[in-house]
Amino acid sequence: MDVKIINPILAAFSEILPQIGFCSVRKKGVSLVESCVAYEGVLVNIALLGSIKGVVLIGMSMDSAKQVVSKMMMGMEVPTLDSLAQSALSEMGNMVVANSCMQFNKIGIEGLDISPPTVLISESGTATLPVKKAIKLSFSVDDIDVNVYVGLE
Amino acid sequence: MNGLKVMIVDDSPFSRTLLGEILGSIGCQVAGEADSIDSMIEAYTSCKPDIVTIDLIMPGSDGFECSRALLLHDPDAKIVLISSIKDEETAAEARRLGISGYIQKPVDGETLLRVFKNVMAPDALFLKLKDTAAEVFGEALAQTMTRMTKAPANFSPSGTIGTQFLSQGITTVIGIIGRHSGTMIMDLSLETAERIVFLLLHRRPKNPEETIAMVAELGNIVAGTACSMLNNKDKAFGLRVFPPSLFSGNTAQVASPGMELQGGYAETECGHIFLGIGFKKGPVLWT
Repeated sequence: MDVKIINPILAAFSEILPQIGFCSVRKKGVSLVESCVAYEGVLVNIALLGSIKGVVLIGMSMDSAKQVVSKMMMGMEVPTLDSLAQSALSEMGNMVVANSCMQFNKIGIEGLDISPPTVLISESGTATLPVKKAIKLSFSVDDIDVNVYVGLE
Repeated sequence: MNGLKVMIVDDSPFSRTLLGEILGSIGCQVAGEADSIDSMIEAYTSCKPDIVTIDLIMPGSDGFECSRALLLHDPDAKIVLISSIKDEETAAEARRLGISGYIQKPVDGETLLRVFKNVMAPDALFLKLKDTAAEVFGEALAQTMTRMTKAPANFSPSGTIGTQFLSQGITTVIGIIGRHSGTMIMDLSLETAERIVFLLLHRRPKNPEETIAMVAELGNIVAGTACSMLNNKDKAFGLRVFPPSLFSGNTAQVASPGMELQGGYAETECGHIFLGIGFKKGPVLWT
């Protein structure tokens, strides 16, 4: 996978999150990972299809997910990841990945479609992306850890 | 469009007045106005409009930012973007975000009326897809299992199952795109998946990856077969499948927010397999 493929995702993350209630978006790290990734907490799954195809997963712990939803809802207390919280997380995923398609367009990767988001919540699970290798982007958004797994080729 | 309640989001008082005049001339009611993202949600909540028109170019937050904020507040909000710029990529971004209409300035009553009618009309093709999808996907799963395992499999529909369910162990999620987009979710226990591998390969799976790969392939075949069957019924569906994602492990809650799943179980020799399918209206952008 060409590492440059992450730039539109980075740009989208940095552009969208400040629009939905976050003050700071800091990239903590980038690493190449296997297509099979362990997760604890929440994953938002959105697939892309077009001249490149694959999946973007946005992952965070249960507590981080509650904090993210709380920020998106202007500080409202979020005791559980109920259907409203799941909806907020899926909207965030949709906005980031939809915007990344615009960013891909700027570098000549055109005509991408995105799937509706699916949210998975588990205390301990494994996700398998439909690619050989994926790239893990670690962010700190207002001191909340969020991981983005990019499996595109 | 007698009495259709429209809210206008535009920073320019002149543009709001002009658009208000045109809306009045086609029988719409200006239910509310906002000049920025800051006042938009409050105005939307108090006037509960049928349609919101949002100017794309505004100082501070642009039309996309306003649309994101509004859809975050109400995923069912019907937004018509109004802009002097009209190009393919702006239209594609609007579609991906879930915006319903896109009109180029200068706006005229005839265009507004046509776009509003389309945005508000029940979509016959969408209703047809919703009515037939669960049965066709169920049939595709039963057929595929019968062919792969050489043992009869039957699908029993359970109707609408809501937006979430608990996984039995392994879940494959496959996005679907076409005139309307959707998601197929297939879910089965590890034991059922291992029995299918045994039937196909005449041996136990070598490792969990082999089992996962089989489930991915099974999901792919089912989704591809079902989409072909639906496209043969009506080529206007234009359905294609996204690559599958697989999830396994401790009991996971699987949710498709904003999209009701319909589904049921395939009873097979290896165990039962859950299949859920949901579609949402769009991405259709009326222009």
